[in-house]
Amino acid sequence: MRIDFRINGIDRSLQLSGDEMLVNVIRERLGLRGTKVGCGNGECGACTVHVDGEAVCSCLYPAHRVAGRSVTTIEGLAPENALSPVQAAFVRHGAVQCGFCTGGMIMSASALLAQNAKPSEAEISHALAGNICRCTGYRQIIDAVLDASGQGNADSERP
Amino acid sequence: MSLHEVGKRRHQAGIEMRVRGGAVYTHDIALPGMLFGAILRSPHPHAKILSIDTSAARALRGVHAVITSKDFGDRRYYQLGGSYSDRPPLANEKVRYWGEEVAAVAAETLAVAEQACALISVEYEALAPVFAPDDALGAQAPEIHGRENAPGGKNLAIRFSANYGDVDGAVAQAAFVLEDEFRHGIVAPSCLETNGTVASYDAGQGKLDLWTATQAPYFIRKEVAQAVGLDEKQVRIRSVEVGGGFGGKSKICEQEALAAMLSIKAKRPVKITLNRREEFVSGKTDHAKRVRIRTAVAEDGRILNRNVSVQIDNGAYTAYAPTYVGASRQRTTCLYRVETAHYDCDLVYTNKVPGGQYRGMGAPHTIWAIESHMDEIASRLKRDPLEYRIAQANQPGDVTPLKWRISTCGLTECLEAAGRMIGWDEKRKSSAPLRGVGVASMIHPSGGVIYQEGNFANTRIELTAEGRVIVHTQTADTGTWQNTTLAQVAAEALGVGTDDVFVSHMDTEDAPPDLGSAASRVTFVTGNATLRAGENLKAKILSALSRQWNCGVEDIAIESGVARHIYEPNRTADLLEIARLAGPLDAEGYFSTPGERPDPKTGEGNYAATYVFGAQAAEVEVDRNTGRITVLRMAVAQDVGRALNPTAVEGQIYGGVLQGIGMALQEEMVFEEGRPVNASFLDYAVPRIGSAPKIDIALVETDDPLGPYGAKAGAEPTINATIAAIANAVFHATGIRFKELPMSPDRVLSALEAKDGNKPALKPWKRVYNAEVATVRAMYPNVVFPALRSVGTKFARLPKKSKQPRTLVPGNANELVEFLSNKNTKSRIVAGGTDIFVGLKQGIYDLDQLVDVSRLPELQGISFAENDLSTLRIGAAMTLDKIARNELVARFFPSLASCISLIATPQIRRVATIAGDLCQEKRCWFFRSAFPCYKLGGPTCPCFAVLGDNRHHSINGAKRCAAPNPSDLAPLLSSLSACAVVVGRSGKRSIPIEELYLWSGLTKVGSDEVIEAIEIPLAPNTTASFEKFGLRQGDFAEASVAVRAQWANDSVSTLRIFAGAVSPLPLRAAKAEALLTGTRLEPDAVAEAAATIVEGSLPLEDNQYKVPLLINLTKQALLAARRRN
Ligand code: FES
Ligand code: FES
Repeated sequence: MRIDFRINGIDRSLQLSGDEMLVNVIRERLGLRGTKVGCGNGECGACTVHVDGEAVCSCLYPAHRVAGRSVTTIEGLAPENALSPVQAAFVRHGAVQCGFCTGGMIMSASALLAQNAKPSEAEISHALAGNICRCTGYRQIIDAVLDASGQGNADSERP
Repeated sequence: MSLHEVGKRRHQAGIEMRVRGGAVYTHDIALPGMLFGAILRSPHPHAKILSIDTSAARALRGVHAVITSKDFGDRRYYQLGGSYSDRPPLANEKVRYWGEEVAAVAAETLAVAEQACALISVEYEALAPVFAPDDALGAQAPEIHGRENAPGGKNLAIRFSANYGDVDGAVAQAAFVLEDEFRHGIVAPSCLETNGTVASYDAGQGKLDLWTATQAPYFIRKEVAQAVGLDEKQVRIRSVEVGGGFGGKSKICEQEALAAMLSIKAKRPVKITLNRREEFVSGKTDHAKRVRIRTAVAEDGRILNRNVSVQIDNGAYTAYAPTYVGASRQRTTCLYRVETAHYDCDLVYTNKVPGGQYRGMGAPHTIWAIESHMDEIASRLKRDPLEYRIAQANQPGDVTPLKWRISTCGLTECLEAAGRMIGWDEKRKSSAPLRGVGVASMIHPSGGVIYQEGNFANTRIELTAEGRVIVHTQTADTGTWQNTTLAQVAAEALGVGTDDVFVSHMDTEDAPPDLGSAASRVTFVTGNATLRAGENLKAKILSALSRQWNCGVEDIAIESGVARHIYEPNRTADLLEIARLAGPLDAEGYFSTPGERPDPKTGEGNYAATYVFGAQAAEVEVDRNTGRITVLRMAVAQDVGRALNPTAVEGQIYGGVLQGIGMALQEEMVFEEGRPVNASFLDYAVPRIGSAPKIDIALVETDDPLGPYGAKAGAEPTINATIAAIANAVFHATGIRFKELPMSPDRVLSALEAKDGNKPALKPWKRVYNAEVATVRAMYPNVVFPALRSVGTKFARLPKKSKQPRTLVPGNANELVEFLSNKNTKSRIVAGGTDIFVGLKQGIYDLDQLVDVSRLPELQGISFAENDLSTLRIGAAMTLDKIARNELVARFFPSLASCISLIATPQIRRVATIAGDLCQEKRCWFFRSAFPCYKLGGPTCPCFAVLGDNRHHSINGAKRCAAPNPSDLAPLLSSLSACAVVVGRSGKRSIPIEELYLWSGLTKVGSDEVIEAIEIPLAPNTTASFEKFGLRQGDFAEASVAVRAQWANDSVSTLRIFAGAVSPLPLRAAKAEALLTGTRLEPDAVAEAAATIVEGSLPLEDNQYKVPLLINLTKQALLAARRRN
C-alpha cells in the first residue's frame, strides 16, 4: 500500500508492505538513525517518536497507521544548529552517558512537557516509565526535565 | 598545583550529537552492498552434532554465505589462554548450551538470512545436560569438556585453595566463630545497545575493517584475527559510538568473528545485530555464586581469620571467569583489617549460557556476603555496625594478607561521611516499623596486573596543522565520559582548554596499543599515559617554539591554549599559530602499572598500583502488604583520589548504584531445561525510573601520588557496596537476613508471613477440580512430566516460526466481517498490536492474516449509548490513554481511569486498546518462550509451570494449564458489570465481561466476530476501587482486585469483588461479597471477609506469596471503596 504522511515537517509518500513497522521506515528507508532499537518489543522506549504529538514506540507501530499523520523524530525536534529546551537541559545536567536511550528519553520528556508544562517529579517518573536507561540511574535525567520546565534548581545544575 | 581543566565540571564530549540523535553506533552503520547476518543456534543444552547440511540454505535466493565450524578449522577463542581456551567460534562436534552458535548466514536481508538459517538441517544426538554446579560435581554428571579444559577435575575449570597467614593459630585465639552461606543467581549487564558488528573485508588489500560495539578494540583485533586466520595487522577496529558496556562488551563477543568470517566468504560487508532475546540467551552474563563464609573474631572485635569458600557457575565456556575467582579472593583477604584468611573456590562448568564479565566482576555479591556477615558479627559483639566497621577499616600503610600494600585510603572518611549523610545515629535508633538503614564498604584495585600483557596504555596526541588537538586512544568510551576526562587530562598537561581537545577512540590504526576500557583501568592507566603524552607533546611544542622565538623553553608558558613568552608579553601564539610555527606535531605517552604480578599459586602480591575505597548507606522501607522494598535514599562516599570531572563521577555513582539496586531487588535470569525463560526487558526487568532513589554523594579526595593528577578508578566500583548496604538496611527494617538474591517482593512477603506465623485457610476442597489437579501434580515429577516431555512432545503441533501473516485493513464493519468469515484462513484481529506483534516474534501464533481494526470508525468513540443514557459505550479500539483522559470516564468511572494508569507504560497505553487488553494472550513464560507446552503444542504436551518456576502462575482454578489471566481490565470491568458488544455475520450480541472467558487468553468471541464496544452501566450511589501489584514498575499484575460497592445509607446493598492474575478466569469473591453485604465495611469485617477470597486455592511452589498478597489487596480495595463513600 502507498501512504502519505509528514515527517519532521516534510511531506512524504511511500510504498509499504503491510507488516512494516514505523521504526524500519524511519531508520532504514529514511535513514533517520537517531531513533534506536533497544528491544523491538515495546519494552525499552529507545524507539520513541511522536505521532501527531503523542509519544509512541515506533518498533510496535505499524507504518501504515501514520497515513495522513505527522511524525516527529529526535532529528526533527529542533531546527538545525539549535537545541530544544529539553535537549539543552540534558546537556546542562549531564543527563547522558552512552546516549543510546537519550533520543527516546528526550522524545518522551518533550511530549510530557507539551501536555504538562510544570510536571512534578512524580509526574515525570510516571511519564518516563516506558524509557529504560541502563547507564545514568535517571537522577540527572529527572533534574534535566525539571529544569527544562523552568523548575530547575540552581544547585542541581551541572556544568 | 593549581589546576585549570582537571577537577572541573565539563560537558560530556560529543553530548550535543547525542541529544540530537546524530551519534552513530554500530547498529546505525550502513555500508554500500552490506549484507545481513543471522545465527543458527542450538536447540539443545547438550548434544553431539552428527551432521550439518547447509545445501538448502545455500540454494536460497539472496544468500551469499553460509558458515559452519569447518570454516574455522580447529581454532578457538584465545581468551585467557591455556586450559581456558575452550570455545570454537561455531560449535564443532558438540553443543554445550541452549542457544550456542552452530552456523551463520549472510544474505541480502535479515529476513532471508533467518529463513536460510531455518533451512539448515542439523542432526543432533542429545546428551544428558547438567545445570546446577553441585550436580555437575556429582559422580553421575556428564562431562561437558574434556580434561584439557577441566584441569581441576571433572567439570572443574578451576579448583583453587590457599591459606594466608597462620590460620590455625588465629582461629585458636577466637572469642567466637560465625558461619553463613549466601547464594545468588545470574544477572546480566543488559546494555541498551545490543551486541552488534559490521565487518568489511577487502580481499584485494587483504584488510578487514570492523565496527563493533566493544570496550576493548585491542582484544577484539587479536581474537578476530586469530579466529579467522588473518594477521593482526590485517584487522582494523574502527571508531564508533558504543551504547553501554559494563564489562559485557569488554572481550570478544561471538558475533564479531562470525561477521568477519561471513564477510570474508561473501566478499561483501556483513552486519550482525543481536536482538534482545539473543542478547540474553547467548550474550555473556554475570556468574551465579554460592559463598560460604566463616569468621573467627577476637573479644575486641578484630577479625582474626576470614574463611571464604566460593562456588562459581561458569556456564558452558570460560570467558574471564578466572578473574572472578581472583576478585572474590581479593575481597576475602583485603576488605577491612583481616589478620589471616583462607580462600577456596571452584569454577564449575554447567550447560548454561557462558558467563562473561559484568561491572565489579562478582565483587558486589561477594561483598554482600562479607558485609551481611559483618553486621552479624557487630550484633554478636553488641556494637553499632557503623562504629564497628570504622574500627576495622583499612588504613594507609596497611599490608593485607594478600600482600596488598595500601597507600592512599579514605575508607574511614567514607564510612563517616556515608553515616552522616544518611542520618545514621538518629535513624538507627528510631524504630519506625519496617524502615531501616544499613551500611557497607568496598575495596577495588586501580591499575591491577590483570592481563597476561600486564596492564599498559599508550596514548598518542597530535597537534594538527589546523591547530586542533586530537587524543588517539584504543580504549572505548561506552558512555562513562572517559573521553571527556581524558580530554581534561590532556588539556591540563598541554595548557589548553578541554574544548580545544578532541578524543578519537577505538581506532587500532590511528591509536597505539592500549588494553581497553575494562577492569577499572582507563582513568588510572590510560589517564597516566595521556598525561605523559600531553607532557611529551608540550615539550616538543616548547622546543619548536623556542627555536622560532630564539629563547629557552623555560621562557615560554602555555596557558588556556595560548603560548606566551614570559618576558616579552606581546609574543604570543594561539593553537593555530603554534601549529604554523611548530608544524604539525605528535607525541606518545606510555604507562604501565607498577603493580606486581600475583603469585599464580596463591594470588599474593601487591597487585595494583593503588586501591579504591568507598562506603554506601541505604535507607529502605518495606511494604508489609506486598513485600515490596523501596530504597528511599542512598548515601555514597567514595575515595576517588581526585574527581577529574565531578559531574562524570556523580553520573557513574548514580548509574552504578541503580544497577546495584537491580541486583539487590529484582534482577535474575530464570532457566528451564537450561533455557532462559525471561529473556526480555519485561521479564528480566532492569530498574526503571521509579526505582531511582535520591542519592547523596561525597567525593573523598586522597590525591593518590601515582594517579593522574591524583585520580583513582571511579566508575566500576560504584556498584560494589550497594547490594550489601540495602541488605543490611532490610535486616534493620525487618529483622530478616536474606541469604538469597534478589530480595524480590515474592520472597520478602513469604519471609514476612513466615516470620509472623500467618497461615491463611486455603480450604482447597472448596473447588471441585482441586482433588484431581492435586493428584496429577503429585504424580508430575516422576510419572506425568517425564512421559509427556519425552514422548508426548514428539506429537506437539508447534507454530511455524518463519511464517509472517499478511495484514488487511478493512474500511468498514461489513468488510471486516467479510475478511473474518473465510473459514480457511486463520485470522486474528489486531488493534493496538502491542501484544500480537510481540507474540508473533515469540513464535506462539500460526496465522495467515491480521485484520487491523485500529482505525475503524465503528470501533471508536466514548459516549452514552444512543437509546440508553444510563450506559457508557466505549469503542473497542479506543486506546487506554484516551479512555483514561476522557471526561465522562473520569466523572463516572474513576476506578477505570486509575486502573489504566497502572497498565504497562505510557507509550503502550497510547496504542493498546480496551478490547485488546481484554483479549490479550495468556501470560506464562514457558508458553511465551515457545516451550512445547500443553497450550502451545496440544494435549500430548506437559505444563512446564508445575515443576518449573511458577511465581507468576495461578493459585486458583488451574487445570492442565496454570497461566493466569493477565488483563487488569477483566476484573475491573467485571466489577462494574460491563458487557462486551460483539458483532458478526449473525448480528450483535452482548457478553458480560465476567463471562467473557473460556480460559486465560481465550474468549467466547467467535473467530468471525469482533468486539465493537464495551458498555458499562451507570450505577447510582456506588464507589469503586482497584488495587494491583506487579513485581516491578510497568509490569503485569501478580494479583489485582477490583471492588464496586453500592450503598444504601451507610451500608452496602450490593458488592462486587473480582480478582485478576491469580486464576485463568477473573476470580469472583462470592463469599466475601455475601459476608459484607449489609455491613458498613468496617475494618474487622473486611479483614475477615477478605481472607475468604483464597478459599479453594491450590497454589504451586513459588507462587504461595500470592495468597497473602491477594488477601491484602482485597482488604485495601474494600477499605478504599469504603473511604470513597
Ligand atoms: S525498541 Fe521499541 S521499545 Fe525498545
Ligand atoms: S545513557 Fe546509556 S542507556 Fe541511557
